[in-house]
Parts: sequence; C-alpha cells; structure tokens
Amino acid sequence: MVSIIGAGITHFGRHLERTIVSLALEATALALKDTGLAKERIGACYFANTLGPLLFSDTTIGQNLTAAAGLNKISVVNVENACASGSSAFHLARNAILAGDCEIALVVGAEKMCVPDFGLLNSGATELDTQLGMVVPAGFALRAQRHMYEYGTTVEQMAQVTVKSRQHAALNPFAQFRQLESLEQVLSGPVIADPLTRSQCCPIADGAAALILASDEVATHFERSVQVRSSVLASGSFEEPCDLTHWDTDYRTVQLAYEKAGIGPEDLDLVECHDAFTIAEIIHYEALGLCDKGQGGALVESGATTLGGRIPVNVSGGLLSRGHPIAATGVAQIVELVTQLRHEAGKRQVEGCQLALAHCMGGDKAGDTKACTVSVLAR
Amino acid sequence: MTSMAEYPPVQENIFTSGESPYLLGGYCAACEIYHFPAPEVCSGCLGEVELVSLGGKGTLYSITTIRTKPPLGLPKPYRVGYVDLQQVPLRVFALLDPVEEHNLVIGQTVQLEVARLGLNSENTPCLRPYFIAANT
Repeated sequence: MVSIIGAGITHFGRHLERTIVSLALEATALALKDTGLAKERIGACYFANTLGPLLFSDTTIGQNLTAAAGLNKISVVNVENACASGSSAFHLARNAILAGDCEIALVVGAEKMCVPDFGLLNSGATELDTQLGMVVPAGFALRAQRHMYEYGTTVEQMAQVTVKSRQHAALNPFAQFRQLESLEQVLSGPVIADPLTRSQCCPIADGAAALILASDEVATHFERSVQVRSSVLASGSFEEPCDLTHWDTDYRTVQLAYEKAGIGPEDLDLVECHDAFTIAEIIHYEALGLCDKGQGGALVESGATTLGGRIPVNVSGGLLSRGHPIAATGVAQIVELVTQLRHEAGKRQVEGCQLALAHCMGGDKAGDTKACTVSVLAR
Repeated sequence: MTSMAEYPPVQENIFTSGESPYLLGGYCAACEIYHFPAPEVCSGCLGEVELVSLGGKGTLYSITTIRTKPPLGLPKPYRVGYVDLQQVPLRVFALLDPVEEHNLVIGQTVQLEVARLGLNSENTPCLRPYFIAANT
C-alpha cells in the first residue's frame, strides 16, 4: 500500500500577481515542511495543470516547478485530465510507488485562471456540441431539468447544497467564499442557465495543492501518515442514448474503488465530491450509494450531509465555495481528507474521522464525463 | 431577403438546408449503429460509415435557457436541449427555437429548422440547425 506523508495547500481565490509556478512552489514547500524530509528524498514529480497552454502559452510546466524548487534530475510527468487532472496525477504517483519506480513522489496541482474575459469553459472548440452552444453550465442545467422531471427534485433542494457549502466554507480559512447564504439569497441570484443561479455554479480561482506520497517502508516512520486504500481512474462510457440523470462512469468508478478498498458507503465518515454545480453533488450522492437513485435532493434537505450529520460531504466548502482552480481541485480534495483523517481540521473537524473518500470528475463529452477518479483513504 | 445559400453551414455534413431540413449522421452497416455527427470511422469496428439522413423530427428530452453572455454570436438568452430523434435511436444535443420564448417543454414533439444563427469559428455569420415546436 501507499501512504500520504505530507500535504500543503495555498489559499484559493484571486491571486493576480502570482504565477502558476509561484502558487505551485508555495504548496510544495508546505507539503515538504509537513513531512520534515530533505527535498533530495523525492524521486518523482507528477504535476497537473490544464489551462496554462491556453491562457499563457505555457507547456510542460512541471519541470519549471521542479527546477525552481531544486528538484532536478528526477522523473517529471505533466498531467492533463480536465477537472480530474490533479487526482489523475495523484493516481499515477501512487502507481509509480506501487511499481517500485520510486519510494517518495511529489504530486502538485496548480492553476491560474483569474484573467480578464475568461468567459465560460466548454468541451473544446472543435467539438460539434460547442459549435451548437454547449457551455459547461448548460450541460449541468440540462441534468438538473431532467432530474427534476423524473424524480421531483426541487430548486430548493439544489439551493440547499450551496447553503450547506457556505456553512462549511465559513470554517475553512483556505476557501474563497466564506459568507453564509440563505436559501432565499441563493435562489434570488442571477440565473446562469435555468434553473441554476450564480451561487449554484462553482467560481473560478487561482490556487495550488501538493501531496507527498511514500511507500510503506518509508511511511512507517511517519506517525501522521494516511493510507491510500484504493485509487481508481476511469474514462466515459459514451453510450447512446446518454442518460442525464446520472453518469454511468460515476457508478462504475465508485463501485470499483469500494471493491478494491473492501468497504461500502456505510463505512465512510467523510466524502469530498466534485460539486462543480449543485445538481452534480445531488447526482454524486446517488452514485456513491449515500442514498437511493433519485433521492439525492431529499438527502441534502435532511441535513445528513452537513457537518455533524450522518455522512458529511464537502466539509471544505467543496468546489462551490472553496473555488475550482481546475487542476488543483483533485489534489485539494485529498489534502482536506488528510487533514480530517489526522484530526487537524479545527472547527470543521468531522468527529471520529477514520475512513474518507475523494471523488473527482472532469470533462464533458456526449452526455458523459471524460475522466472520473475515486480514492479511499484511511488512518 | 438574402438567400440562405450565401451562408456556410456551421460545420459540413451535419444537416441539409432545403424545404424540410433534416440532420445528417453516420451509419455503420456492419455494427448496425447510427452516429451523430458522422465520424471518420465507426467507433464500434473502426470501419467506414455511410452518410445518411437521421430525419428532422424528435421529442424533447431536456431543455435549458442560457442567460449569461452567449458564445459564438448566439442570441441572449438562447436555448439548448437534448432531442430523442424519431427516425433513429439517437439522443442529440441541439439548439432550440431562438425566437419563441415559452413554447417548449420536456416530452414535446419538435422539428428541425435551419437558419442563419450566430457566427462560425472564423467569426462570420453561418447556418445552424435548431429544433422548434412541431406543427402537428
């Protein structure tokens, strides 16, 4: 098995004066300091970034980070897998250690996207869907409409996801939106795509997060290490016809991660899932088996997924409130789980947290997702 | 009135623009499956596909109105949805009636239209297909 021995994260938000490498360096230094290791012990770096090539014409940025940090001569892999880039980098680093390629690996996800006229993300300029007006919020709004039609999910239930998210983020100093919002405030905001109002869509952000992974031999020397019980990466089914009330890929990935970890949803103490939009969190509850299909809206309404509830979800504030610097998100989710499993999360600490799951999803294609990752961590 | 023929389609081999327009897609006879848009090869067998009509009628599966700044010179607001085609077993993403505001709901029968709508990737006006409420 592989363990996480160090974690670091920057504040997520607008960092106009910072570069991708500057943010990545800060997270890397924090993670290294967390381990107390000499940096020369690191044998590989898996670096995730998605928008550098598009926004700054920068490519192969991982080596810019490792050179700046004096981590020379090691193997460096640059990873891009849309919103699941960071968690894909984590998956690859874990596999490299399992394969015996290295003993200690650095994983970094870093993104800078707060630039003028950023606009909306789409599925790629050459895709027909994009040419016919598909933008990311529209894809999720179409899911929301169909979920409401088939299961009677309400706009209030969806808005409750944001209300909960803000309550959690108020306790997280790394989050972007820490002001509480009432149900009325969420629902009266400007509509982005019917029925999703602005605060039901995750904000763009700049930020970075880093993890240091180690083999069992190394990890035994670290009291605060956290075990990776399973890690799964899958791509979409892209089956016809697409069913917008769920992602088939979501169910497949979650199921395999449970099987490999030898656990079920009832064993979990905490989940960080990919709440890019409120409806997404509701649909992910169902795929994760936290409730029956179609009951995701009722689950959030019941308070079960709020801190102190049966199964707290996105106690960090999630993408909706922490913010979503694309490639940093998948790493940030795991940093949150590590913090919680070490019982170092302060006011947002989940009591008795011993087993936790991170779920990340990236890229739209043909009504499915391009990449989905699930990791199960334990103390 | 300017003729539609003066404007290029948003993408080649997606639709016809005659009297009763219809969508074009790919059909693989070996796998007996339809694709939209027509791919270079069938994803089932990597063999050739034939360019065929997918018809112009369908049933609305989901719908939303996008109210933020529109891309590609599309109107503000504009509507999109998924349509279950009647002629072939495909659920396709599509633009919806850019003029009539309140006439479409899930389950409704829709039919294809083609008109000048928005800009193409070269920033010039182009033809796009969209579905409107069916006459019948």
